[in-house]
Amino acid sequence: MNGIIQNIFVFSSLTIAVVFLVRKFVWTPKKKTAKTCGINDCRCH
Amino acid sequence: MPKQINVALIGNPNTGKTSVFNALTGLNQKVGNYPGITVEKKEGVCKLPRGVKAHIIDLPGTYSLNASSLDESVVIELLLNKNDKDYPDVAVVITDVENLKRNLLIYTQIKDLEIPTILVINMSDRMAYKGISLDIEKLEAQLDTKIALISTRKKQGVDNLKDLISNYQNLSIEPCLSTQDIDIDYFKGLKKAFPNQSLYKLWLVITQDVNFGKISRNTIKDTSSFKTKKDSDLKRLQQKETIKRYQFINNVLKEGQTIDLKTAKDLRIKLDRILTHKVWGYLIFGIILLTIFQAIYDWSSVPMDFIDNAFASLSDWTKNTLPAGAFTNLLAEGIISGLGGIVIFIPQIAFLFLFIAVLEESGYMSRVVFLMDRIMRRFGLSGKSVVPLISGTACAIPAIMATRNIESWKERLITILVTPFTTCSARLPVYLIIISLVIPEGRFFGLSYQALTLMLLYLIGFGAAVGSAWILNKILKIKSRKFFVVEMPNYKLPLFKNVALTVLEKTKSFIFGAGKIILAISIVLWFLASYGPGTEFNNAEEIVTEQYASNNLSQIELEQKIASHKLEHSFIGIAGHAIEPAIRPLGYDWKIGIAIVSSFAAREVFVGTLATIYSVGSDQEATIKNRMAAEVNPILGGPLFNLASGISLLLFYAFAMQCMSTLAIVKRETNSWKWPILQLTIMTAIAYIVAFIAYQFLK
Amino acid sequence: MTLAELKRGQNAIITDVSSKKIPLKLLEMGCLPGNSVELVQVAPFSDPMYLNINGTHLAIRKETAIHILIETNDA
Repeated sequence: MNGIIQNIFVFSSLTIAVVFLVRKFVWTPKKKTAKTCGINDCRCH
Repeated sequence: MPKQINVALIGNPNTGKTSVFNALTGLNQKVGNYPGITVEKKEGVCKLPRGVKAHIIDLPGTYSLNASSLDESVVIELLLNKNDKDYPDVAVVITDVENLKRNLLIYTQIKDLEIPTILVINMSDRMAYKGISLDIEKLEAQLDTKIALISTRKKQGVDNLKDLISNYQNLSIEPCLSTQDIDIDYFKGLKKAFPNQSLYKLWLVITQDVNFGKISRNTIKDTSSFKTKKDSDLKRLQQKETIKRYQFINNVLKEGQTIDLKTAKDLRIKLDRILTHKVWGYLIFGIILLTIFQAIYDWSSVPMDFIDNAFASLSDWTKNTLPAGAFTNLLAEGIISGLGGIVIFIPQIAFLFLFIAVLEESGYMSRVVFLMDRIMRRFGLSGKSVVPLISGTACAIPAIMATRNIESWKERLITILVTPFTTCSARLPVYLIIISLVIPEGRFFGLSYQALTLMLLYLIGFGAAVGSAWILNKILKIKSRKFFVVEMPNYKLPLFKNVALTVLEKTKSFIFGAGKIILAISIVLWFLASYGPGTEFNNAEEIVTEQYASNNLSQIELEQKIASHKLEHSFIGIAGHAIEPAIRPLGYDWKIGIAIVSSFAAREVFVGTLATIYSVGSDQEATIKNRMAAEVNPILGGPLFNLASGISLLLFYAFAMQCMSTLAIVKRETNSWKWPILQLTIMTAIAYIVAFIAYQFLK
Repeated sequence: MTLAELKRGQNAIITDVSSKKIPLKLLEMGCLPGNSVELVQVAPFSDPMYLNINGTHLAIRKETAIHILIETNDA
């Protein structure tokens, strides 16, 4: 019984960790609207 | 009377705005991010008299509403957007009694936005020292506001400010400047086209390309009844506006302020004669740097040992107390060790930021930027790149975040890309163990070879950073306007509260920025090292017991051999074997291969992984070294860890980009995946090539 | 003469800042015609220049200073 519960926890932790990493590194972020610059020095790139 | 109001703190840098913010909010503050851009958002809560709660936002320091950098643009974006939930009910402009003339420029601009504005004159304790006296009533009348004279250092005047804020509805919202005076005809036309809008706000929209309600620059351009001007004309008008504002300010101060030059003292100039001197300036800076590094090294060794032992004990306790099983192992070996790997760097990081905060609060940091700018520019960096490069010796993550005040995008990008070359503290455990293993005893002019090697590695890191900056500067064709202005503020004694809060905030950003990633990777790596496919792994116990049946091993020794066998046949062990052909020319075998792959989470994992591979308890460092020294190179005979492979490994770690957390931060600060991927590929390639050459040359 | 040629000990007044190469920020910090400017300290190669402009102490690069015109009032 103990073994099964332990395994469940292990795989849940693993899944959470993997999902977290995937979301951080693989998921492409939404494009932000490009701003044109004011007449002073450009502050965007 | 509303229960909660929004208050915005605005003002020039170096006016003690942060001190006022801290005095108002104490520990009730938090730092976040403005959505979509990498500017820090600082906000807090303060209880005002009469049961009113103030939500205070500390806007980035700026000299004018005409923004010249990303964080300055935050100010104007907020103040033109009435629908923003942080739009202030009252603005508090913070000025410093010694620089009133310049500080008032932004005051006049804020007043022209028709927001109720309170003027704070800070650092009042310096008035006598500087021979300044103020006629507050006259100033209040001419500036049409209420003034709070404050000294955060002496803790005076803050209660008065709170009172004034809670009475904000009695403040007048008449503008200072009559905007149409800038150019009568131009503004007459603008008024006709947009009769119901504030002229000043429209003017800001035209010159700044910000949006104001539904009006944007394009709306105005498209309005046929109004002809706007070309950029160079607009710039001339902005200059005219600036001159008019200063005329107004000069008139106000002529009546309201008197300065007795005979009693005024100036410590700043005297100190700067030495501290920015062509020779002494650099010498003093060098000494200060060395002292800082020495102190950090010494002071953090005690807490680091303590943390190391604490987590090791916690890990053991967990294993012994909780019911045996997979999850207990994950907790003890994966999670607790992973957390330990993060916590152990907190002392070094906190101390480094302590020193940097003190240097910044005192005003000395601007002098460092002044001294270093010319040198840095030859390498495509800015004088302001010094702080990130120095911070990188603790951890690259807060270092990269510190690049936000570099005005030129090209200089900022190059700084971000090269900072990971500097020797961060995570590399130290790897360096130390390899050095003690392969570098011979002996001294050279009093310094041991081992110490010299360590110093050399630090220099290589720094040299690589600067060298690659030089190359990048030649290669990257990025157009960016650059102008460089750094204010040289007065020297002041750092306020403990400010320094403490800064250190707290920067350390938190390291823990949460890097921490989550390191923890997640630790869990994944633990899994990959604890499970494996096939019979070799699953039947490890039987196989090993049989193998050593005739050797009469103790229970512990047998368990260690089993653990080692399991590791070899786990997922990660298979990976290590797979990359072995690629790393053999560098002098490594598959065991080192595993360690290198594992240290992708955090470099210090290298040592712990080696311990497991060599089937040793990971707390016995001496034993690890002995086992490593005894390892035989399967192809050549002779020790595996000899001078050649040791140096090759050291150089590999010096150049490899192995920190996932750093990659994540670079991605966030550059807003794209292009740069971190380039960093990863190129740095890994350099590491491989250099390690290869070193090994082949030395073997 | 240009600000880049200013020497320590000379007192000068700013006469012209209309060059497009001068950022607005500098004007807003007090670099306006009629204001006084004094050289406090100069880094090696005269770059950057640590100046006292109208009471504001700041440093700018030589590439900016050459566009600011001044007049010294030494006899």
